[in-house]
Amino acid sequence: MAKKTYDLLFKLLLIGDSGVGKTCLLFRFSDDAFNTTFISTIGIDFKIKTVELGGKKIKLQIWDTAGQERFHTITTSYYRGAMGIMLVYDITNAKTFENISKWLRNIDEHANEDVEKMILGNKCDMEDKRQVATARGDSIAKEHCIPFLETSAKANINVEKAFMDLAQAILNKTPGRVAEPGGVNVSSQETGSKKCC
Amino acid sequence: MRSQCQHMMAAFKARLKTFEDLLGADKIDRGKLRKECYQGCPENNCRALCWKLLLNYLPLQRSEWEKEKAKQRAAYRNFIQELIIIPGQKAKSNLSANGTLADHPLNPNPDSQWQEDFKDNDMLMQIDKDCRRLCPDLFFFQRATEFPCEELVKAGSNVETLRKRVEHSVLKSETVARNRQGITVNRSNSRRKSEDYIALKEGEEAHWEVVERILFIYAKLNPGLNYVQGMNEILGPIYYTFATDHDDDCRTNAEADSFFCFTNLMAEIRDSFIKSLDESQCGIGYSMELLYRKLREQDVALWHRLEEVELKPQFFAFRWLTLMLSQEFPLPDVLRIWDSLFADANRFDFLIYICMAMLVLVRNEILTSDFPSIMKLVQNFPHNRIDIHTVLAKATELSFRQS
Ligand SMILES: Nc1nc2c(ncn2[C@@H]2O[C@H](COP(=O)(O)OP(=O)(O)OP(=O)(O)O)[C@@H](O)[C@H]2O)c(=O)[nH]1
Ligand SMILES: [Mg+2]
Repeated sequence: MAKKTYDLLFKLLLIGDSGVGKTCLLFRFSDDAFNTTFISTIGIDFKIKTVELGGKKIKLQIWDTAGQERFHTITTSYYRGAMGIMLVYDITNAKTFENISKWLRNIDEHANEDVEKMILGNKCDMEDKRQVATARGDSIAKEHCIPFLETSAKANINVEKAFMDLAQAILNKTPGRVAEPGGVNVSSQETGSKKCC
Repeated sequence: MRSQCQHMMAAFKARLKTFEDLLGADKIDRGKLRKECYQGCPENNCRALCWKLLLNYLPLQRSEWEKEKAKQRAAYRNFIQELIIIPGQKAKSNLSANGTLADHPLNPNPDSQWQEDFKDNDMLMQIDKDCRRLCPDLFFFQRATEFPCEELVKAGSNVETLRKRVEHSVLKSETVARNRQGITVNRSNSRRKSEDYIALKEGEEAHWEVVERILFIYAKLNPGLNYVQGMNEILGPIYYTFATDHDDDCRTNAEADSFFCFTNLMAEIRDSFIKSLDESQCGIGYSMELLYRKLREQDVALWHRLEEVELKPQFFAFRWLTLMLSQEFPLPDVLRIWDSLFADANRFDFLIYICMAMLVLVRNEILTSDFPSIMKLVQNFPHNRIDIHTVLAKATELSFRQS
């Protein structure tokens, strides 16, 4: 079998309404490019990117899901294995923001309890079409103790940071969960993701 | 070299002749038609006609074609009238009747159009998003059609077109959102950016807009199913085939004809689009299971490897099967695949064999790679390396081996 070229493997999941830009965000992160013409995601898509964090090589396995309701039975089956979930809405479309609470409920129902979450308000390059104030994104994130960022896949704003922050949050609590070769440092869990509550 | 070329020309001519004879008969021989189409219809020549026959849009009796086409096309014009033009006129007059809105969002009357309009607009926005993104590598869908719906696009039309309706609902929701934030902004000039509608003149319609209209009408006529993402990818190749045919009558009526062919095709495959049927005997879950079961019968080692790395059919075959491979290959290959699929008497059994063939043709890579590499492989089938004829030949071989 191929030699392991990484220290840790993190499984991430992208969810949110259709058209908010999940596929574009992932493409920006994995290929550092933007493409306006992505076909809609049917079922599920998949990308790999290896990053370095805290001196460790981390392989990110990122699942991009379809937004439309019809695909939920297919897509919720991936929630269980996910260690981090990105919830994406579109700042130029209020409806996609209103649905964030619905997506949060989905996570509660289907994902591991300790899954790391992050809310992204995408398309922040389109200030002139903004329908969702940054403060509203902030407040729903605070309410649920979830980190929040506004991003743009098009203008390459905060995309790298979003994925790295999520990976970092998972890394922070990893020693407590995964038995690593060479002794487990349980106390490092304490320094891990201390959040607002 | 030369003689090989001549040989190919001769073979092509013979093939054309076969189809001409077949399609020129007073009564089409369905068995023969299936047999020939299974090998692939000649490009740009009679594919449209063959598909219309195979999808049961046209009867086998040639003398009935004109009557049938006239009847269906008239019916389609009626759908446009009832589902787009009349509501569009109402919308327009409602808009202009300033201050005295006959109907409004808070209208307690259960007959109020508003509730329904809101639902329709959501659906339309989804269709709109998907149709804009249809076959992006192909310029065709962005180009203007020679045959727009005159009543809708003609100057001074008093109808709110679907395009306008999408613009309006974007605007409306913008205003609503802003008001909620307590911000008052004058955004009356905020039209959709021109880049969204590439260089189309007044009175013109892009092909993707025609596709959008067909899907909207289909969804309105099938409220239990509604619009599901991916339907655009089923309709796209059919419409493309009809709208690029060499025959004038076919091109002129591409919209109506592809609506009915799409409807007939959907009647056969709609179960894969219905969430509540996922786990039933006819749903997509069952088809995915069938694929793995048949693979197991044919190639245990391969099946075992997929099980071992826990690569579920949901991860790739969901898309392969629901979209009949339309996202896995370039359009010309998709058309060729569909010749065989539509020719299949046990429609869509053959689809399972094609999917199996695709897996078997990359079996060595599957056997020696890890989960992520296999995922990448099946999510991006290497059609450059393994051409469509190899895939279809393998699928045929597998189907014979099983029967
Ligand atoms: N201006 C702008 N447009 C964006 C951005 N991200 C995505 N888009 C546009 O939004 C549209 C939808 O993007 P996708 O990434 O396909 O959306 P999705 O969330 O994957 O949608 P589904 O696959 O249907 O669930 C595309 O046409 C993009 O051009 C962004 O950051 N800025
Ligand atoms: Mg997508």
